[in-house]
Amino acid sequence: MIDFVNYFINGALVGLLYALIAMGFVVIYRASKVFNFAQGELVVFGGFIVWWMVASLGLPLSIGIPLAFVAAALFGLLIERVFFSRLAGESVFAMVMVTIGLLILIRGLILVLFGPQVRSFPIIFPLQPVIIGEILIPRSLLIGGAITVIVGFGLSWFFNRTRAGLRMTAVAEDHQVALSMGISVKRSIAFAWILGAVLSTLGAIIFLSGKSLNFLASDIGLAALPVALLAGFEAIAGVLLAGLIVGIIQGLVTAYLDPIVGGAIGTVFPFIIMLLILFIRPTGMFGWKTIERV
Amino acid sequence: MDPAGVFATSFERDQALIRTRGQCVALVLLFVALVILPHVLGPRLVAISTNMLIMAVVVIGLQINMGYAGQINLGQAAFMGVGAYATGALAIKFNLPFWLSIPFGGCAAAVFGFIFGLSAVRIKGFYLALTTIAAQTLFHFLILNLPQSWFGGSNGLTLEPAQIFGFSFVSETSIYYLCLAVTAAMVFGAYGIVRSRHGRAFVAVCDDDVASGLMGINVVRTKATAFLIGAFYAGIGGGLWAYYVRFVAVDQFTLFHSIWFIAMVIVGGLGSITGALIGVFVIKAIQESFVTLGPSIVAQFPSLGGDVVFAMMNVFLGGIIAAFLIFEPRGLMHRWNILKRSYRLWPFPY
Repeated sequence: MIDFVNYFINGALVGLLYALIAMGFVVIYRASKVFNFAQGELVVFGGFIVWWMVASLGLPLSIGIPLAFVAAALFGLLIERVFFSRLAGESVFAMVMVTIGLLILIRGLILVLFGPQVRSFPIIFPLQPVIIGEILIPRSLLIGGAITVIVGFGLSWFFNRTRAGLRMTAVAEDHQVALSMGISVKRSIAFAWILGAVLSTLGAIIFLSGKSLNFLASDIGLAALPVALLAGFEAIAGVLLAGLIVGIIQGLVTAYLDPIVGGAIGTVFPFIIMLLILFIRPTGMFGWKTIERV
Repeated sequence: MDPAGVFATSFERDQALIRTRGQCVALVLLFVALVILPHVLGPRLVAISTNMLIMAVVVIGLQINMGYAGQINLGQAAFMGVGAYATGALAIKFNLPFWLSIPFGGCAAAVFGFIFGLSAVRIKGFYLALTTIAAQTLFHFLILNLPQSWFGGSNGLTLEPAQIFGFSFVSETSIYYLCLAVTAAMVFGAYGIVRSRHGRAFVAVCDDDVASGLMGINVVRTKATAFLIGAFYAGIGGGLWAYYVRFVAVDQFTLFHSIWFIAMVIVGGLGSITGALIGVFVIKAIQESFVTLGPSIVAQFPSLGGDVVFAMMNVFLGGIIAAFLIFEPRGLMHRWNILKRSYRLWPFPY
């Protein structure tokens, strides 16, 4: 029984981590209607910026991490300036395909700037786990989970309640209509990428704290995909719930089904969930339901 | 468009693939060049050419699926892998000759692709692309977790060389000719498909699926057919790959490979079979020249290190893909068509 509780809680916290990474997807989608395939690469890039600031330059954490967020924001802005500002108002297809080009490009950039070696990521959260009775909880995931919940509700409030957020929501609905209403699509997209890059860096800090880092860590981007899909690409707070669901299911499947089926059913299971969602309810739990009469 | 003075006087002429004598001559010259190529080039270049021919088959499949029918497919490498594994398993377990195992491998991939194409019943657009990512992970999971006696699991499959009438395709040159023959047939088939009613249905669905549904096209069936054909091409390419490398392993068919295939389609030009061929040639040539020039660049600038040169290739190619999407979304083929049109109309532009 105590094992079950352990798996359950750890699954839930890993799920919240997925939710934070998925929030990067959702924010970019919610402010620019672009589906970002390079999300995993953004996470790894953010991780390397933190590593560079803290481990390589030797800055203390209290200066290094804020500087890393600034650098990530600048990187997001750079991506928008170089690629997406020229595509504002163009077809969404081209923009999404550009993110595929970005995936290859950022991966190359990481290899050029930081090399393929495995680096040890600085320990940002203390390593000792939190112990309650017989339940062991990794401290980084616990703090990360709390941060994720706060960020999730904060962003949800921003996109649903403030003027600036609603403007971006209009961009996500339709570029042309937003343009004709006098909303700057370019500015919205720029903000989306800045926010996406910063969130990815935050995700990298929580995900990688005290672990090893190389360019292959970008797989987390794909692992977070089912979470974004279950929530629906437009729902920010919904991502939290979806992350919990996917994380708990994955944790329990890894614990109880892996010994039976063998192999990595735990890592594939989110994708099976994803296929099921796509078939049953493609808009996810909280996504916008666009009405199409055919 | 046709050059001045060329008019189609019958339906057959209007539908013909080869429209002028110049095109006929160019095609024959190209074919002669491809046939004598292994006798002129060194073994390494022949190996690269063989690789290009195999990729060409896979990318043409993706072109039909993505360029014509407009269904984004991020799982083409998985479909290729299914073809390669099916071909390998048939050749090893049932001792089928290659001229049976490769087509069966293609059919196996087609069935796998068709299943994912069927999801078009419920979903479209980028959501459909996500199911193909799921195809990629499922493919890896299945191969690694099915009983090892079926597909070799993590050990991969090792094949005997392809054999016909006692002749076995061992040498680089002979496997090149095998790939050339198959690729030529597949290219010809692709031209046939895209000008048939199915090809026209693909283009209609790509342009607007609501409108094409109103015109009486069965949209779901068309999308699923596009996946079927695209995956069949990928499977044939995978079968050739299995006989070329004679070793099949899961990590030859990753999501990253699928992304490269998409890059080839984008650079060559969406919606053109010739564009797919050009895309394969250009991207593969850039990759290989980086690989070839890499050591000498490192020798010139020892401080760079070998890794940086290969990483630069990724930066360069990623930049190229983005640049094409921003400045020329219709690819190299569109540029070529503009050029052709302008010299055909010269000196009277109207």
